Amino acid sequence: MIPFSQTWLPFIYLYGVGGLFFIIGMIIINKSKSIDLTRKRHRYWNKVLYFGFVYFAVMHLVMILAALYL
Amino acid sequence: MESYHNIGTSLDWIIIVIYFIAVTGFGTYFSKYNRSTNDFFFGGRRFAWWLIAFSIVATGVSSHSFVKYSAKGFENGISSTMTYMNDWFFVPLFFFGWLPIVIYSKIRSIPEYFERRFSKTARAYATVFLLAYIIGYIGIGFLTLGKALIPLLPESFTLFGFDIKVTLTFIVIVTAIFTGSYITVGGQTAVIFTDLVQGFILLFAGVLLFVLGLSYLGGFDTFWHLLPPSWRSPFADFNSPPSFNFVGIFWQDGVDGSVAFLFMNMGLLMRFMATKSVDEGRKAATFNIFFMLPLSALVVGSAGWLGKAISELNPNLISPNIKPDQVFIVVANLIAKPGVFGFIIAALLSALMSTVSTFVNATAAIYIYDIHQPLREYFNKKKGIKDEKPKNDLGAARYASIMMTILGALTVIPFAQFPTVYEAHGFFHSTLTPPLVVAIFFGVLWKKFTPAAVVSSLIGGVALMILGARFPGDLIAPLAHGTAMDPSHPFIYIGALYNTLACALIGVIVTWLHNPLKNYVSKLKQNENVKSIIIAFDIIVVLLFISIIFVPLPLAILLVIDVILFLLVAVSSTYYVKYDEIKQTDGLTIWSVARAKELFKGSKPNEVEGDKVKVSWEVIPGTDDFMYFSQSDMEKMAANEGDLVYITDARKFLGGLKSIHSVFGKPHFEDGKVYINQEHLASAQFVDGKILIAEKEM
Repeated sequence: MIPFSQTWLPFIYLYGVGGLFFIIGMIIINKSKSIDLTRKRHRYWNKVLYFGFVYFAVMHLVMILAALYL
Repeated sequence: MESYHNIGTSLDWIIIVIYFIAVTGFGTYFSKYNRSTNDFFFGGRRFAWWLIAFSIVATGVSSHSFVKYSAKGFENGISSTMTYMNDWFFVPLFFFGWLPIVIYSKIRSIPEYFERRFSKTARAYATVFLLAYIIGYIGIGFLTLGKALIPLLPESFTLFGFDIKVTLTFIVIVTAIFTGSYITVGGQTAVIFTDLVQGFILLFAGVLLFVLGLSYLGGFDTFWHLLPPSWRSPFADFNSPPSFNFVGIFWQDGVDGSVAFLFMNMGLLMRFMATKSVDEGRKAATFNIFFMLPLSALVVGSAGWLGKAISELNPNLISPNIKPDQVFIVVANLIAKPGVFGFIIAALLSALMSTVSTFVNATAAIYIYDIHQPLREYFNKKKGIKDEKPKNDLGAARYASIMMTILGALTVIPFAQFPTVYEAHGFFHSTLTPPLVVAIFFGVLWKKFTPAAVVSSLIGGVALMILGARFPGDLIAPLAHGTAMDPSHPFIYIGALYNTLACALIGVIVTWLHNPLKNYVSKLKQNENVKSIIIAFDIIVVLLFISIIFVPLPLAILLVIDVILFLLVAVSSTYYVKYDEIKQTDGLTIWSVARAKELFKGSKPNEVEGDKVKVSWEVIPGTDDFMYFSQSDMEKMAANEGDLVYITDARKFLGGLKSIHSVFGKPHFEDGKVYINQEHLASAQFVDGKILIAEKEM
């Protein structure tokens, strides 16, 4: 069995601490109005940014499950 | 450790040589698009996102090369993918902060940003750090090239009666001459196009190797179950062993590495600056991070995973004690037939060459824009020469490329002391990137961050980093998340966290002390000996810095010395630098990106969305940078006179190679026609009779 310290602990740390950096980044680009959500193109990029975070988290999730149970 | 030589057949060598001749010829062909240093370094800001996205693959993959990830894949398994899948966290700040600032502020190098945002002194320090960073990258590239070639070559050979030993140094010298020659001739357009082709070939070769490996082992299921369980996890253990652990690599690569790659990697930034617009740059980066990086992780690491599985199956085929940096070559030779092996090796070697050439191009750009041109202006000023017409520095750019190639080759010497390329690169990253990462990050995000703070954080931060290296058990261990200290190479990865915090702490303290520092310097200026006092401060700073490096004092005293050092640097910087916060943050921080766009255009941007129009073209006399469209076409594009236009050959597969930016001139009434001048034609190289597509940029 692969230990917790090589599966879920790194996952939680990566998306916890990394997620903090990500959210701070999102808050800053919104507060500074460098992303302007009244513009269609910027709304698209806003969605892409959140999707990217979830995309990598899901990919890692699947890889951990494969390592543990496949 | 078991070392291999003479791997491969004559057929493999023939394929490798043909491949290299083809790539060099391809690069040389595109040198015709270099009409100025702007074209040489940035490719003229003209390319489509997909072309840049694929050209980044070859650069990105080879800088995190087959050799080092195969080594880690063999030693640790799927967790070799970690560094390719942790780059998204800083993308929001890159997309909507740094990327538009870099493009709209029209800076040609990162040090130039430091001068405009802070001061000339900050630019000088940034130049030194950045050159060291990129030259180090070139060195890592050469080291990897050398290590990849050693197993292919004999231990020695005879030439004209001389017995020549094939050493790492010998290989590095030969590859440096070869790489230097094609970048020196070709420039950025050559690099982009050769990288584009190599990006495809590289991915194909890597996937081919993985498929051949699975077939060799009898399918994915066999491969997967041959891997020991812990080799299957996408993560390394949280904090052990010291040579490869999750938390260290998160801070070294996921944080500092990602920020460095996106924010201060001139090679990569120059690619984004070569896209036709900010939006195209975002698309290129997204495609690269979403699809190319995970695919690259598989491509570069899979030889190591296959090697481990084969070694578990039959240790006589691949020894468990093999030198890790030779795993890729040995596995490729085992599972690929002669000829196919040659193709895979050619793809690997040329990809490494891509990385090296990209960074040589980047360092040459920094040399031209941050050393050569400022020095020429300085000497012209001294000689009293005014209004000299700007020179085309293409010749100097080419000499700079040669010089940077030589310097890069020399840095192989210290990197070769590490057990693997991966560890050498990890140490290099965690040591050199934090000062500039902090400086750029605070500069872009924090309007209050001052020139005194940036210079103090660079000098004082480096001093604290040196103390960290001298006293790792006292300073780095408390932040090491339980990682054990390896005395021969202490805290290779997690050292990045300490180094970043050290630089950031000093930056924050000096920014907070801005008003007291200003008051103190004002009082100092009333003293008639103020110049002598400041010079004395500067001399003390040098002495304190030397003492931090060499003098065997207790840590507490050295820390006090560091505090005195950075405070004196802050006083000295506040004295020398005339800083206008409003002017020097205008369009240069994330808080004024809209203003940056306005400054770029020279008037208020026209954000109304318009259509693209197809036009034929005709050359008219004139030298002004205007293009003349019909009234109706301009209405379709929602464009007004004075707006910016991008016009390109309608054939999409060219990816913007034949294109140019200009300004809408006074409209005429011939629909479907654009009038351009000879200079536009020379730059865009439009082809007679070929239709163009025009769109309003802003």
